Amino acid sequence: MKEKVGIVGIPPLEIIKQLHHSKAEIIDLDEPQVRASLELTAAHLPRVYCAILRTVVLNAIHLELDRIYIDVGPGKCDCALHVATILKDMLSIPVIPTRNQDMDGMGFPLCRSRMPLPDKMLAITGNVRSIHRADEHKYPPCTPTAGFWGVPPRDFNLLALFPDTTHIYGWTRCMENKTPADLNLESQINPEVPTVFFAQAFCAKTALARHLADRHPRGLYLDCDVTAGSSARAKIEAFFELSGTAVPDKEPS
Amino acid sequence: MLLADFGTSYSKILETDSGNDPTIVATRDLGSDFCADLATGHNAARRSTKNINELTALARGGEVLIAEEDFVLLDCGSRDIKFIRCRRGRVVDMGWNAECGASMGFTIEMLATYYHLDYSQIAIPKTGFSITCGVLGMSHIFDAVISGASEAEAVAGFVRGIARNAYRFAGSPERLYLSGGLCDNPLFTGSFPCKLIPLGRFVLLKGLLATLKSERNKG
Repeated sequence: MKEKVGIVGIPPLEIIKQLHHSKAEIIDLDEPQVRASLELTAAHLPRVYCAILRTVVLNAIHLELDRIYIDVGPGKCDCALHVATILKDMLSIPVIPTRNQDMDGMGFPLCRSRMPLPDKMLAITGNVRSIHRADEHKYPPCTPTAGFWGVPPRDFNLLALFPDTTHIYGWTRCMENKTPADLNLESQINPEVPTVFFAQAFCAKTALARHLADRHPRGLYLDCDVTAGSSARAKIEAFFELSGTAVPDKEPS
Repeated sequence: MLLADFGTSYSKILETDSGNDPTIVATRDLGSDFCADLATGHNAARRSTKNINELTALARGGEVLIAEEDFVLLDCGSRDIKFIRCRRGRVVDMGWNAECGASMGFTIEMLATYYHLDYSQIAIPKTGFSITCGVLGMSHIFDAVISGASEAEAVAGFVRGIARNAYRFAGSPERLYLSGGLCDNPLFTGSFPCKLIPLGRFVLLKGLLATLKSERNKG
């Protein structure tokens, strides 16, 4: 029977290769995988905690997994380190912490491609389970008119407010490059385009996001918890309107 | 063209072709079929042909009314507070607090009615309550009255707390431009610990007007 393995963050490529070799089903626990209230995690985690890691715990409670690999090194965060301890105590399956320090970049064509930002983000997060890079010929680079810096948000709805020619920077770019601990790459910005610096509320990356937004000539710092409320959406809309950036005229679902 | 800034409590309306000044109407008194050509604010999408969001209207209004390249403009409404910060003529930061800033203006107006107070007759207090929300701050008033303070003193401490909270939300600038109905409340405006320049209630309407002019120039 096919083994079901949960991953948190970006475990080292060698681990992903092993899972492919053993034909395991890889499930990304950072993404919502079950329809259940995050309140169910309150018995295990404080309510005021990173929504991504609360999602991890929610998934772990509901899914029947055989193993979990959770990255706890510089490519993820200290919060994940503590969640690893909690998962170990909560679950009867092996919970294996990893410290991904891969530095062989595989490129980031998706980050620079022209595509609706939610689709682009889905392609990048989906690629975490792959050992291959996205095809550069299939995704040629476009000229950017906007930037999204940061981690994949818990609520992808906010991404629908960005133009298709948005380039992705920050940790998401490191994800696609398969070098999640590459702080130099994570800190790269493009001063030529208006950029939203996003971090999940209660995440340590809020400090870097705010710092880089302050240094950027047209940067907007933004954090959100579980869902992007009307205030967050209005900030993005106004930011692009006032920057003269053409934005999609569709409403996020 | 009919422009409207639909506030939660009051709507500000301008008929651009009439040559008249803007009018203020209680939002609950607007007919259900009232429809503006260009609007912003609460339910603007439903009540207008075209709408822009309030931060955009605030920023554009600020650009028209403020002859500086670096400024912070704070709008205190019935239900929420919002600010924009411009540097070298460009909006570099903004915030919209509809949650923790909830009901500040609404609560201040309601307290005046409830306690029969005239804010122009109340001295600005030297100290006040630490308040993050209009609703949650109410208990401070009741506690102060129970402890022997007059109702006016207790409400003054509350209003001061609200003003200080709004000031911090806007990033604690040395100079602050203020928009919204609370510009007319001397207790509120006198409670800011910085140089405050009230711009009145029609800043967002000015932003709509600027948007209209810009679109006419384009088209």
